[in-house]
Amino acid sequence: MTAWSLEGLASRLDGFRLGPVDLRLRPGEVVAVLGRSGAGKTTLLRSIAGFLPVHAGRLLRDGVDLTDRPPEHRGLGYVPQGLGLLPHRTVERNVSYPLEVRGRLDALRAARELLERFGLAPLARRYPAQLSGGERERVALARALAAEPELVLWDEPWQALDVDARHALSGVLEEMTRRERLPVVVVTHDPPLAFAAADTFLVLRNGTTAFLGEPGRLLERPIDAFTARFAGFENVYDPGALVGGAPASLAAWLAPRAGPGGIAFARPALASGAGGPGTWTGLVRRSRPTPEGVAVHASVGELTVALRGPPPGAAAPPALGETVRFDVEEKSLRPLGRADGVAEEAER
Amino acid sequence: MLAGSLLALFLLPLYALFTYATPEAIWTAAHQPAVRAALWLTFLASGISVLAAVVFAIPLGYLLARRRFPGRSVVESVVALPVVVPHLMVGLGLFFLVIPGSPLYRFTTAIGFPVYYTVWGVVLVMVFVSAPYTVLASELSFRAVDAGTLEAARSLGAGPATAFLTVTFPIALRGIVAGLLLTWARSVSEIGGILILAYYVYPAGPYTGPVTSTISVLVYDLFQNGDLPEAAAVSSVFLLIAFALFLLVRIGERSGWLPWGRGELVP
Repeated sequence: MTAWSLEGLASRLDGFRLGPVDLRLRPGEVVAVLGRSGAGKTTLLRSIAGFLPVHAGRLLRDGVDLTDRPPEHRGLGYVPQGLGLLPHRTVERNVSYPLEVRGRLDALRAARELLERFGLAPLARRYPAQLSGGERERVALARALAAEPELVLWDEPWQALDVDARHALSGVLEEMTRRERLPVVVVTHDPPLAFAAADTFLVLRNGTTAFLGEPGRLLERPIDAFTARFAGFENVYDPGALVGGAPASLAAWLAPRAGPGGIAFARPALASGAGGPGTWTGLVRRSRPTPEGVAVHASVGELTVALRGPPPGAAAPPALGETVRFDVEEKSLRPLGRADGVAEEAER
Repeated sequence: MLAGSLLALFLLPLYALFTYATPEAIWTAAHQPAVRAALWLTFLASGISVLAAVVFAIPLGYLLARRRFPGRSVVESVVALPVVVPHLMVGLGLFFLVIPGSPLYRFTTAIGFPVYYTVWGVVLVMVFVSAPYTVLASELSFRAVDAGTLEAARSLGAGPATAFLTVTFPIALRGIVAGLLLTWARSVSEIGGILILAYYVYPAGPYTGPVTSTISVLVYDLFQNGDLPEAAAVSSVFLLIAFALFLLVRIGERSGWLPWGRGELVP
């Protein structure tokens, strides 16, 4: 079992500054790196992998400093965004590649065993260009594992994959972490993947750590509008949206409860039946079915509020233009910090 | 429709050539010692110019694709120059460079590579006019190799040299080969510079046959002398060989016999 840690890791790329980033990885732990585009997620992965010079801090494996080691001597399995499959090699020769470059004579046999395990044996003689997106992802992972890495870095898996391919891949991820006890750092924009697979969230903002902790903590306290939306809060308002509301409006009620970055809250439930009890009144603008209940968007003064209607089939969904009532519970409100991190710094 | 028009433009002059030369005349031309000598000289010199492109042009292409250095734009412009300079001027420039009595004439003669009216002169002109195609194709091909693919290979255990040999070069190979084919094609079709530097070629170096000239110069000679049927027949022989070679290469790529054709998505 190998323990990895980043100690104040800092890097620079074309004027962009990453870090310092601190992170400890336990065996089998999955860390999801989140953040807006340009926050430094891929830069972090490439710095760990050894493709960008580290200007400060260290990368340690079991206490051994790997910061100055070339990429091929770090013991990593790096799956880049484009997957990096070798287009001129068949699937089996892609998977045998890391063993071949190490001089293993049984490279092809070992690769075939791995392909069996990943259910890729029927594709062994195909070229990457002849595979579907999901198959390519699985081949890239199988190849990363063939290198017998002690840490897997995975940049944006299952982009544009269908649900079945996602399901198959999540099984592979599960196996890597539970059976092989491999730590995985995964960059993702995919909330279902992040919440289903990750033990820890690392949120980057402008190259620095904005949040590091369990996913549940982000649900309890999203740090900004981005993390609130990522965590599934559909009602997210910046302070500007809450200014100038009528005295008795929802906006005016929310304004003093908001943080410097605004406020977020989950979909409040619709009061049962039109004209039922509830503090706030809205006019239905959109209504669509979801497994959790009809998703309703209603105009409430200056704001548009996402609401949760009755489950499909339980009651007639509210019609467009219908008036609905709802309550917003005080405890459901999540004041947000500013996206530039000023509020967080102040809180610390 | 537009593509068809272009193909017609390519094919119609060749059709005219073949209709002018009877199959018997083509057959007879193919068996003439003078034509065979000219063909041998042309393929020998163009083969050497392709080898020179492999040795010198591919590394230059790699350098331009992957390294930043002062004066890179100047080097790129110099590489493109032979493509735009009229080839008679090229021949004239080379003629002044290696004119008997010049330092380069004495030097090349001393080291056993006399260029004036020898196969080396033909090679010199061919390399000058054709190597830029390999440089440019190599540069583009090396540049097109995905950085993520290289990084993945490095993290999988490949050092820089191994990554170059197993990833960069094989992926770029298809484009490089296309450049080499252009280099060969441009070499065999060259006439302007050769007319000045090596109108006739005397035995020297690897060419040990009779005094001859390249196939393009031979056809030019026949045309100048008004022997149009013979010029058409010799041209047809050359075209048939060139077409067969290109066809073989393409079939080899498509079928995967040639390594650089592997892995392409065949629609």
